[in-house]
Amino acid sequence: MVQIVISSAGAGGLAQWVLVELQGEVEPRQSGALAGSLLGDLHYTHEGVPVLIVGHHILYGKVVQLEKPFAVLMKQGAREPSPAEPHTRYAVTALIKTKLLFKTRPKPIITNVPKKV
Amino acid sequence: SLVIRGEKDEQAVLCSRDKTYDMKIADTSNMLLFIPGCKTPEQLKADQESCNIIHSQIAGFSNNYWELRRCRPKLKKLRKLLMEDPYEGPDSQRDQTSTFSKYTTEDLLSLIQASEEEILHQLQVIDACKIEGYWRILEFDYEMKLLNHVTQLIDSESWSLSKVPLRTCLEELGSLEPTEMIEHILLSYGRKYIDDGEVYFEMREDKICRATAQMLLQNAVKFNLSEFQEVWQQSVPEGMTTRLDQLKGLALVDKSSRPETIFLLKVEELPEDNQERFNSLFSIREKWTEVDITPYIQDLCAEKQTVGTLLTKYARSSMQNGVKVYNSRRPIS
Repeated sequence: MVQIVISSAGAGGLAQWVLVELQGEVEPRQSGALAGSLLGDLHYTHEGVPVLIVGHHILYGKVVQLEKPFAVLMKQGAREPSPAEPHTRYAVTALIKTKLLFKTRPKPIITNVPKKV
Repeated sequence: SLVIRGEKDEQAVLCSRDKTYDMKIADTSNMLLFIPGCKTPEQLKADQESCNIIHSQIAGFSNNYWELRRCRPKLKKLRKLLMEDPYEGPDSQRDQTSTFSKYTTEDLLSLIQASEEEILHQLQVIDACKIEGYWRILEFDYEMKLLNHVTQLIDSESWSLSKVPLRTCLEELGSLEPTEMIEHILLSYGRKYIDDGEVYFEMREDKICRATAQMLLQNAVKFNLSEFQEVWQQSVPEGMTTRLDQLKGLALVDKSSRPETIFLLKVEELPEDNQERFNSLFSIREKWTEVDITPYIQDLCAEKQTVGTLLTKYARSSMQNGVKVYNSRRPIS
């Protein structure tokens, strides 16, 4: 049988990450790749409402405390199992207890509206 | 730490030290981005240095995740493994020449989809014992042999059934059987306590009567109920009273036959999966009363489930002669 061990990264507390949840998909501009590209800017209003600006769209979201927090697992060790290390191992790298949920339709930001004279 | 356990043909489970969880992949149409070090509004309010741009990297994204749901540990395999080679006693030829696998605790952890504590607890429930480092179940006839030694000694010494001294048992019976086995049978069929520095056992009437019934019932397909009850009462130790409710999950009474009969039906030999268990029960008997079926589905109840919930889900009810009965939701071949 396979026994895959999931262990905690270290005694000194785990990093806290945040989840950003978007409806739909994120596509890279033109033919670029996602990796290394800038997604956008995240702001918070004075009331604590998260605002995400992606390209020329603006999205309003809300901060949600997760009822069931997530643990982020990273696979350890060699890609392929070997006789020395027959089983994969995972390490818990971080915990996610909060998410920023953006489920409203993105609004385009129009910077210049010419007025009819 | 946590361990994911499973054979290639099994569904994965995650085990903590004392709990077992089903693992499922959950899909979402939303995109989940994970951002290390991203700050929430609360954290930024506390940080009064504003107007700084914090460059954060998105560590990754996904649209699925693993979800855990607490489940019953899959322990049926444990009994199956230990029954491969039941212990028949020190004189058994079988043990000496045995080529069957024997299992240590470590072996069991790598074969059973359950947490360590759940496995250890179940080993206790099925009266397994450690012999030479391996977990063994006693072969039933050998177990009865040991029990008989004890009950006969209790009878000849005229001890009270609730005060059986360990020391004397070991002294008197040690020449017949290994002392570890004498002690094991006392632990299995009695409740240990200490009085005035000495170890005593309060014998468990229900368990002894139940084992005696199993011994009688296993030799035939079914028994005439009233004949069985007579022989059964005569076979148990003096001072013990037999009652049909001691046989829940072990035997079933057929009230529709004339004369009424009783036959062996062990819950531990039925399928572990809910639907398969119900299919199996309905193929044995078409309609069940709640009282009759409860002992055979009780172990299927999850943490907050009741027998009633299971019956609503897997059976259909109807009235028969003024009594509520349950039958299968689908035709059983």
